[in-house]
Amino acid sequence: MAASIIDVENLTVSYGNRPALLDINFSIGPQQLIGIIGPNGSGKSTLLKTLLGFIKPDFGKIKIYGEPLARNEGRIAYVPQRSAVDWDFPITVQEVAMMGRYQYIPWWKEASARDYEIVEQAMKTVRVLDLSKHQIGELSGGQQQRVFMARALAQQSSILLLDEPFAGVDAATERAILDVLKSAKESGKTLIVVHHDLTTAAEYFDQLILIKQRLYAFGSPKIVLQEELLHQVYEGKLRIFSDIVISKKG
Amino acid sequence: MENLYNLFIDPLHQTFFQKALLGGSLIAIACGVIGCFVILRRMAFLGDALSHAMIAGVVGGYLFMKVIFSIEAHAPAMLIGSVIAALITVGLISFVSQVSRIKEDAVIGIMYCGIFASGVVLVSIFRDYIHVDIMHFIMGDILGITDSELWVAAIVSAFVLTILMFFYRHLQLATFDPIMATSIGISVALIDYSLTACVSMVVVSAVSMVGVILVVGLLITPAATAYLLSDRLPRMMALAALFSFTSVVGGLYLSVWLDSAGGGAIMLFCSFQFFVIFLLAPKYGYFSKLIRRWNMIPQSLLEDILTSVLRSGNQASSESLRLYLKSSTKLLVKGVNQLQREELIIKTGKQIKLTDKGKEQANKIIRAHRLWESYLEATGMPANEVHRAAHHLEHLKDEAAINYLDNKLGHPAHDPHGKKIPQ
Ligand SMILES: Nc1ncnc2c1ncn2[C@@H]1O[C@H](COP(=O)(O)OP(=O)(O)O)[C@@H](O)[C@H]1O
Ligand SMILES: [Mg+2]
Repeated sequence: MAASIIDVENLTVSYGNRPALLDINFSIGPQQLIGIIGPNGSGKSTLLKTLLGFIKPDFGKIKIYGEPLARNEGRIAYVPQRSAVDWDFPITVQEVAMMGRYQYIPWWKEASARDYEIVEQAMKTVRVLDLSKHQIGELSGGQQQRVFMARALAQQSSILLLDEPFAGVDAATERAILDVLKSAKESGKTLIVVHHDLTTAAEYFDQLILIKQRLYAFGSPKIVLQEELLHQVYEGKLRIFSDIVISKKG
Repeated sequence: MENLYNLFIDPLHQTFFQKALLGGSLIAIACGVIGCFVILRRMAFLGDALSHAMIAGVVGGYLFMKVIFSIEAHAPAMLIGSVIAALITVGLISFVSQVSRIKEDAVIGIMYCGIFASGVVLVSIFRDYIHVDIMHFIMGDILGITDSELWVAAIVSAFVLTILMFFYRHLQLATFDPIMATSIGISVALIDYSLTACVSMVVVSAVSMVGVILVVGLLITPAATAYLLSDRLPRMMALAALFSFTSVVGGLYLSVWLDSAGGGAIMLFCSFQFFVIFLLAPKYGYFSKLIRRWNMIPQSLLEDILTSVLRSGNQASSESLRLYLKSSTKLLVKGVNQLQREELIIKTGKQIKLTDKGKEQANKIIRAHRLWESYLEATGMPANEVHRAAHHLEHLKDEAAINYLDNKLGHPAHDPHGKKIPQ
């Protein structure tokens, strides 16, 4: 087996005394595009925040490249859920993308010409360069999503965590974002993406993680997207877009 | 001339005015700049909590020096005492709101009133022993500012601005995205404490000038005013500093002219500035919002104009449109003008025609309308109702969605009324 990049062992996380994640185990190899699925409130965002070190687990271990989180600062890039961002913050597209470089700039120095170059390249890749002077709240949903992608690319980390990058964007933008994700994977990165649309999950991802507090399934889409399993997890709230039968009229 | 000279230049010759101007500006600028972070992190309560806590800290510091070293009114000790009291208050607030079910806003009220009360009681118990004037705390006395207070203001201001300059990126990221900040090794808790410590120093130093009640205003009003004019944080900080400075200058003149309390006049001027900007700010101001709303035309009306011109054989008059669309003349005129600007229609005299670009758009909408009709009929809606429903749905004309409908329906050539569906 190839050396794994992310190892999660017996991970338990709670807010107060309510567990949000219970005894989660999985490991992820290099160069994978992984989807996390599960109903609302099932702990998907919590899992990402724990992998980023923002929430401390009650119990369990997380290893990145075989080392604990504290030794891996800046090796994981993060694209937050759109609803978690303050879109009124006085900040421009370019300034958000520049945040991806902060870990490389010592506190007594300014960003270098090279930092500006990398940020510009990242903005070009996700096609927001001509918006660089706009305040982030002025953009459309898809553009906002891409700004944070630019930040993640500028960070040049080998692991990317994205929280619902496809929520509230139009079909064309969804494709464009997916293309960026795929080419990031081709260039050797590992991506973990929280995803809410079960109809596209199989098409987009190499492997899926199905969670609702506990890990229900992990593996190829074929294994995870079993009807019985999904019904159990989504408890009838399943909203797969079942094809509407339409009688053809002559 | 003589008069103006008296009004503006005379006060500048007074030492008390010079000192007030200098000390006030120094501390107000620090307040304004750090206030930007306070409002962006929604910590406005912090200023309130801190200013109330500090009376206990001042008395504590005073007593400590007096009892141990027999030094009266040792300014640095009182300052340190205040900062400690402030940190304790903030620590207690976050501790109690985390471990109990009482929400943070209530906890804040409980804590700072409790600590304020302990200060008041201490002062009254030791009133013959220590010489602290409570009124001085409540109202402040910027016109009677002492040399040592001036020094404190200068040092605090320089210190805080230096910290902000060096750790700008840390503060910005921890405020904007604490999750990413943590992931690249910035300790958000440490940033929180440093910010709280800076705010306490500024507040403590400002209290002796404008008093406990008004200090919060000095912390957040200039920053909020600047927020209405800024799309970038550095600009917001610069403008906040400017508005703090003008508040002090304007307020001090006001207080001399009107012979009023200095602190009150400064805050009054500061609030006045806020209201002017709140009304007039070009992008985020109230009037510009009204104007934008006034100019707003519903997208569906624009699309209805396009389709009705096409339906009437690509020529219509404003009058026929008005009758057909049953919309108000005012809106319709605005809509027609807007479409003209977008080069979708041409108006010659009273006649309205579609341009090629306009025709293409109108065809797209009609295609959506007729496909929706076919779809609705296929799902079993009575034929006489589908037109009205489709009229609302036609504005959902996202290409992918419409092509999906077309595929599902097997690419029909005609809608249920037998009309041709444009490709
Ligand atoms: N800061 C928080 N404090 C308390 N409970 C929280 C907090 N964040 C999330 N939760 C709870 O934890 C559970 C998982 O939340 P989350 O990870 O955001 O779910 P998802 O992203 O899958 O929708 C939910 O029940 C939610 O209410
Ligand atoms: Mg979530």
